[in-house]
Amino acid sequence: MGELLESIKLGAVRGRLMLQQIVTIGYGSQAVVIVTGAFTGAVFTAQSYFKFKDFGIESSVGGIVSVSLFRELGPVLAGLMVTGRVGASMAAEIGTMKVSEQIDALRVMGAHPVDYLVLPRFLAMLISMPLLISECIAFGLAASFIVGTGIFNIPYAWYWKHVVDHTALEDVSFSMIKGFVFGILIVLISCHQGLIANNGAVGVGLGTTRAVVYSSLSLLVCNFFLTFLLNYFFPLGSAL
Amino acid sequence: MATLSYEEPFIRITGLKKSFGDQKTLQGVDLDIYHGETLVLIGPSGEGKSVLLKHIIGLLNPDDGKVELEGTDLSHMKERELLKMRRRMGYLFQNAALFDSLTVAQNVAFPLLEAGLRNRAEIYKRVQEALELVELGEHKDKMPVNLSGGMRKRVGIARAIIGKPDCVLYDEPTAGLDPIVTDVIDLMIQRLQKRFQVTSIVITHDMGSVFKIADRVAMLKNGVIYFIGTPDELKQSPDPEIQNFIAGRSGMCA
Repeated sequence: MGELLESIKLGAVRGRLMLQQIVTIGYGSQAVVIVTGAFTGAVFTAQSYFKFKDFGIESSVGGIVSVSLFRELGPVLAGLMVTGRVGASMAAEIGTMKVSEQIDALRVMGAHPVDYLVLPRFLAMLISMPLLISECIAFGLAASFIVGTGIFNIPYAWYWKHVVDHTALEDVSFSMIKGFVFGILIVLISCHQGLIANNGAVGVGLGTTRAVVYSSLSLLVCNFFLTFLLNYFFPLGSAL
Repeated sequence: MATLSYEEPFIRITGLKKSFGDQKTLQGVDLDIYHGETLVLIGPSGEGKSVLLKHIIGLLNPDDGKVELEGTDLSHMKERELLKMRRRMGYLFQNAALFDSLTVAQNVAFPLLEAGLRNRAEIYKRVQEALELVELGEHKDKMPVNLSGGMRKRVGIARAIIGKPDCVLYDEPTAGLDPIVTDVIDLMIQRLQKRFQVTSIVITHDMGSVFKIADRVAMLKNGVIYFIGTPDELKQSPDPEIQNFIAGRSGMCA
């Protein structure tokens, strides 16, 4: 971890490698994140509607869905999907390089493995993660809108008014800050597991499993504390 | 070789010790390597020849003892300082350790790019030269997975020497290669030494290569340097262990 800070301070950023990683991490994860966001938004709308109908406040479904997506579901779900998709491949790729001496080969040729492998992934993740989360939220809301107005016949205007009323810039900050933190967690844990892999194919498998498990769990735990911390700065309901 | 009466060794190894768990691999290796010589390292498998080589280039840190390059102690240097030192050296890994995400040409160009060379034409020319030296000029756009073991090793050699290092460490450069290519590589090691005064440290099990290329031979056995001397001295050594090793006699019966 300290190595990464040193690398950020000293290491020349390898633009081409970073672009490659943005393509793999960001561009490549879109489909997964969009589908996750859309179906979560849709199902959450349906469940909320069934319950809210009992109280006669079904038109405010948009508000709760929007706030949940921004504050919790968007960042967490996108983070988990990226962990599974990107974290696993980072750990497996770097781990394979480790056990086949390619990391040593980098070192021999004067390339610091953290500069060459971790830094580009780290920066690519910082750029990609907020965009992916935004995408997840946008498609979640769109799906929610379609389900709410299309299937449950909530009037467009009411639906939209509740979304706008309950969502503020604070909620956007909430999701973006979470996104940055989750991205950092995923990269650090996955790359670390790759770099410490040993013991051949078994070791790479183990490292990959650990990368996904540790990243997902730390992401969920971290999310809980972040919610409390961020709620202090951006209290829920300030938009009302 | 330089004919100074007293010469500062290029690489000096003193009291080098390294254990992996319970296994004591190196138990106090002392070895001097001089500018421009070819030192061949022989010895039974699993006795730590590769481990010794990795200490010389700073991939491993010793438990005890020192590795000095022209008087600078490498053994406790930080990784970032070592990186600069290592650009003066080339290293051929036992399994070549090519980057499997890059083509042959990109692999060979890697040390040049890392050293900060940006002139495309020059890089192209030097990659072509290096690949032709190992007779792989026409395979430059292939991926390493599509090469045979011997070809991979030759790419590894091209990559190790392209930066015109002062010193090249070869970990079994000719293992698994046919006799003709073996000869080509032996000649290449000699040519580099003659033309550019490259210091070479070569691990090999091929006794033919030993007598062809070595200025001095060191035998690593039981974690220490068991023998060091010229190839002639090795040949004439009265020690039965050495004679059996050279002749390849195990003492077992079929």
